[in-house]
Amino acid sequence: MSDFFHWLSVNRATIAAFLIILLLITFVFSIVIGRRLSAIRDKDEVFGDPERTKGGWYWAVCGVSALLLIWFYFSWGSARAYFPKSANELCQVAKLHDAVSPINAALPSGSRYFKSTTLVARNSEQLRALRAGFPVAAFSAAEGTEVESLFDELHGLIGIYSDPDKQDPESNSKLASLVDEINGLSGRLRDGHSGYEPAPEAASQSAWGLTHIEIPLLPETARGALFDKVANDAQGVAKNFLKARNAPPAAVDAIADIRARIDVLAAGAAPEGADEAALKDRNNFIKSLDRIFKRLDDGTIFPAAALDGVDDAMAGLQQATQSAKGFGLRFVESGFMPGGSIIKSRTQCTEQGSGRWLPKPTDVVAKFGLLANPDLEAGGGFKGTPLFWWKWLPIADVVGFFTPDWIADVIPGEFGRHGPDGNFEPNLKDRVLAFAQGDVPMGHVPMFAGHIWDSLFRVLVALALGILLGVPLGIFMGVSRFFKSFFDPLIELYRPVPPLAWAPLILTIFGIQDDGKIFLLFMVAFAIMVISARTGASGTQLSKIRASHSLGASTGQILRNVILPNAMPEILTGIRIAIGVCWGTLVAAEMLAGTTGVGFVENVARTVSDYELIWVTILIMGLLGLMFDLFMRWVIDKSIPWRGKG
Amino acid sequence: MKLVKSITAAVAMGLGSSAMAADSVNVAFFLEWATPNLIAKADKVYSEAMGVDVNWTDFSTGVAMTEAMLAGDIDIAYSQGLAPFVTAIQQGAPLKMVGVAVVYEANDCFVRNGIGIDASNASELEGRTVAVPLNTMADFSFRKQMSALNVDISTMEIVDQAPPDGAASLADGSVDMACIFGGNSAKAAGEVGTPIMTADEKKAADIGSFDVVSVTESFATENPDLLKTFMEITEEANGAWIGSDAQLAMVAEGAGMTVDQTKNQLNGMSFPSASEQLEGYFGKDGTAASAAASLGLVFSDDSDGSAIAKTIDGSFLK
Repeated sequence: MSDFFHWLSVNRATIAAFLIILLLITFVFSIVIGRRLSAIRDKDEVFGDPERTKGGWYWAVCGVSALLLIWFYFSWGSARAYFPKSANELCQVAKLHDAVSPINAALPSGSRYFKSTTLVARNSEQLRALRAGFPVAAFSAAEGTEVESLFDELHGLIGIYSDPDKQDPESNSKLASLVDEINGLSGRLRDGHSGYEPAPEAASQSAWGLTHIEIPLLPETARGALFDKVANDAQGVAKNFLKARNAPPAAVDAIADIRARIDVLAAGAAPEGADEAALKDRNNFIKSLDRIFKRLDDGTIFPAAALDGVDDAMAGLQQATQSAKGFGLRFVESGFMPGGSIIKSRTQCTEQGSGRWLPKPTDVVAKFGLLANPDLEAGGGFKGTPLFWWKWLPIADVVGFFTPDWIADVIPGEFGRHGPDGNFEPNLKDRVLAFAQGDVPMGHVPMFAGHIWDSLFRVLVALALGILLGVPLGIFMGVSRFFKSFFDPLIELYRPVPPLAWAPLILTIFGIQDDGKIFLLFMVAFAIMVISARTGASGTQLSKIRASHSLGASTGQILRNVILPNAMPEILTGIRIAIGVCWGTLVAAEMLAGTTGVGFVENVARTVSDYELIWVTILIMGLLGLMFDLFMRWVIDKSIPWRGKG
Repeated sequence: MKLVKSITAAVAMGLGSSAMAADSVNVAFFLEWATPNLIAKADKVYSEAMGVDVNWTDFSTGVAMTEAMLAGDIDIAYSQGLAPFVTAIQQGAPLKMVGVAVVYEANDCFVRNGIGIDASNASELEGRTVAVPLNTMADFSFRKQMSALNVDISTMEIVDQAPPDGAASLADGSVDMACIFGGNSAKAAGEVGTPIMTADEKKAADIGSFDVVSVTESFATENPDLLKTFMEITEEANGAWIGSDAQLAMVAEGAGMTVDQTKNQLNGMSFPSASEQLEGYFGKDGTAASAAASLGLVFSDDSDGSAIAKTIDGSFLK
């Protein structure tokens, strides 16, 4: 059995490929059927007739398959199904992109401006701002003139760097050789991938999205190997580019001069009579000046003309990359991976965009299968609890839960003590205490267990309590002046409070066990049930009540046989709404003190950004809510068939 | 063919625009986390030295920092917890650790007063209920301390609770031990409980925590100079820390705490210098890699320590 699941898991991409085709066929087919049947019925139906909404399963099929297709598409599930190697190839392209990104970041082809341009603009602006804020009081007059000329020299330094005529020949030849290297890379990309071999170790890599490594790094195709090799060499080129410095002879002299002048300024003393604030200004000013100078002296500014060659070469590399990708890969990337791209991190490549936060349907099912496995030893379940299973529940636990311990205390006599022979003989009082604490073995009953059951249990108990208490109260509020006036302010005061607002109190009042969570859900269900029962009861037609009254019905009979059936549609609708809202509150309730439950699983999954797990919990809650709703629709159909026909 | 051309052009633009020279740097940090570089932040030393606008955004969790970095809104996360960093790496996030921001005492687990359990009879904790904020540094610390005290945690009922809730549950008596992070919650838990291990015992058992400086891969490759300057300024700010009243006041204001709270918090923290980090944390067999790997093993069974080590890069400290 587990071999079969393993086979399913490994072949999930192929299975998805079949599923997608099946879904497409279903989608088209259901539309065809739907249109044909609509055309037939069109003639004998009137718009607005509620009968028109009956049936129509084909539109449900159409809707579900459309949803699944959209899910497959935006989670990149269709890309993986039909182009399983494309992610690995794009990962190699991402490696190249990653390798040359330091060069791209410094050039207009990558980021609109030369980095040098940005540096010139930014540093000049900061020099100007510093000059404008020169603290005159903190410097002597002679120093003031000195600072003025320093500023001029710093501006001059920027000018020297930017002047192509003054550029040092060494850096020029370095840039020229960089251009050659980049063109060499482009050439290799243009030559194509014939002759390249994927790495032999790549064969043992896991496929796309099978393990926690989403897209393994080693190239699996010849095209990938080409990009991998080129990316590897591009790293060296990028390193050389980052090392390239512009050191014109004129700049070297200017730097030495400015350095000396700033040092003199820093060593100098403030003029006589300068107060502490002025002293601070002086220090800050020199520090700021020094900081800007330090950014200028390392020769990262090049003349724009000197970098044109590199810029052209990088644009060429970009084109070569596109052509080496080939039409197929470009098509897959733009057509099948919507809303993102594949990027490289240190240990793997990952999907970015909707592919990241929207896991593929098949992956979600696989994750669900893993969680649903009740064999905890084999890695099933979540945090030591299965998803939905059963266990032997000791009856004593249930008895112990309902029997208070003080029963033992009120029995006359003393609790037993151990005798001198080292034995302990329990007396009646001890036995009662053991019974009340659930320590007396009374056999076992099979019981559901697991996260889903725990959540279900909380919702069902809360709902049952809400119905049992809310419906009678609501009906009485509908028929009795006392009940209406007495409870109305209370109910209306607490009803609009969002359930989450109670959360901080619940923990302190009830502690961490189930009762607090159930109470929170009960608060939600109760208000809804009261309101719906009351609306239903007060909506009873007076003529019906008078008729039964004149036929001799007692108060109880009127309540049971006239008012309750009349309120039934409202009550059942109330239950439907209450179930929905209870599920909605469940995540918050289980966040208070999480031990088990679907909401707990989601809360933990959130802390590790495990999107597959998050989607599994979302789908579980959605499907359970849907099942409840279908069940309630069935109940409504069976119990109040007269609804909507009055 | 025209369609294909325009599609390729769009793709090329999409690829090109992701490599941008930064004209502003976005840094994530925590409020209520007193670090000396808050002074440099307030004095705008960072933006002056880096020559770009430095925008600081405060976050409430390290996971949120990761999400913001992946969305491209944050370049540098200052003092992200080791736990969220490692879980991000395990999810394949393109991040790397470039420095250690703060070294601090491991989070405490408070045993409720009056149940008579301390380090000497810690095995009595087996079978009891414990509040732990799962997948945080407090969780890591809890597991480390329990294994140091030979307590089998599989017998415990572990309740996932945020620190304030855990402290409240400890006070109510619904849990017997609560593992806590954060100053205010720890203070509340300390009212009704006692840490199971003292600071010295934790140190002796080699249980410690540190926060990291993490950056996106793309920021590190595209703007190594800016990153280097950022680390330099942080180093300068840490070096300039003498704990004077004026400094305390500034840090307290930056962190949004009172001066007393700040002082208390800073007592348990240290800020290793670049050379200390290179020697102790980022060298061969350094603490950074080993701690990350062991933390990865705690939170996930398929953690590969060597993979996490690849995302640790001390070169920006030099």
